[in-house]
Amino acid sequence: MFILRVIMRYRIQNVAEVRRRFRALVRQTDSPILICPNHLTMADSAILAWALGGPWWLLRNYRWVPWNVPELSNFAGVGLDRAAAWMVKCIPIVRGGPREDLSHSLAKIEHVLSRGETALIFAEGARSRTGRIQLESIAHGVGRIVSALPDCHVLCAYLRGDRQETWSTIPARGDSFYVDFELFRPDSQHTGMRRSRDFAHQVADRLVRLEEKYFAGRQ
Amino acid sequence: MERSEIRDKVVKIIGAYAKDKEAMGSVTEETNILEDLKVNSARLVDVILDFEDAFDIEVEDEDADSVNTVGDAVNLVQAKVG
Repeated sequence: MFILRVIMRYRIQNVAEVRRRFRALVRQTDSPILICPNHLTMADSAILAWALGGPWWLLRNYRWVPWNVPELSNFAGVGLDRAAAWMVKCIPIVRGGPREDLSHSLAKIEHVLSRGETALIFAEGARSRTGRIQLESIAHGVGRIVSALPDCHVLCAYLRGDRQETWSTIPARGDSFYVDFELFRPDSQHTGMRRSRDFAHQVADRLVRLEEKYFAGRQ
Repeated sequence: MERSEIRDKVVKIIGAYAKDKEAMGSVTEETNILEDLKVNSARLVDVILDFEDAFDIEVEDEDADSVNTVGDAVNLVQAKVG
């Protein structure tokens, strides 16, 4: 977070209000909370955790430092990245890998959530190449996690730097970030895989709504 | 239902999602759905839900974990159809 604030000179818009809202929301429920943000850069999860909690609050409330689900190939080959992934909470995943491996990673996420921790998973699976929520890329795994955990809530979050046009590795230095979010409990009349897919679509719908609100506010 | 009949229907369903249409011409039960046919991993769920509709079965997430190849898909459907 020192890197984000001091070296990269990032700023969170209305940070006090964002954190007040977030803390009030998470106090409302003891249920598992899965955080599902949009995805534009590889720093999204770190910036979002910083924006929502702030360093001191997260130190005192370590369970709210979310478990991340990075693509294994994004950090496995680089020593510094591997060290960073080891220091923060990470459950690696192989995108497009064997179904059994994916299932194993999802089971780990379900486990940490059921123990009162929180996890952050990008519903789109990868950074959006268009800069907008890509509905065709919505990952079924999000719905599957929600389906497996009774009373699981989802915090859909929209994070975007003012200078972020499309996707990138990291946001531009000195960028200022808009953050908005919505907590909801998905519900479905379906069973089996249709239930999981329904949940994933509900998450996607809320992300789209948050994105529309962001762009409406910029006009 | 005969295995060959199931296989034909399964291949037809997968074909609608395969990006590599050329590879569809040489499909065997060992063909990997994601790697060989280039089906988007996010769309594999839609493939399996199409199986549900076509064969009037219900598949759980855990059942779907075993599906990597065309043969795995045929096995899954065959087990559900009975």
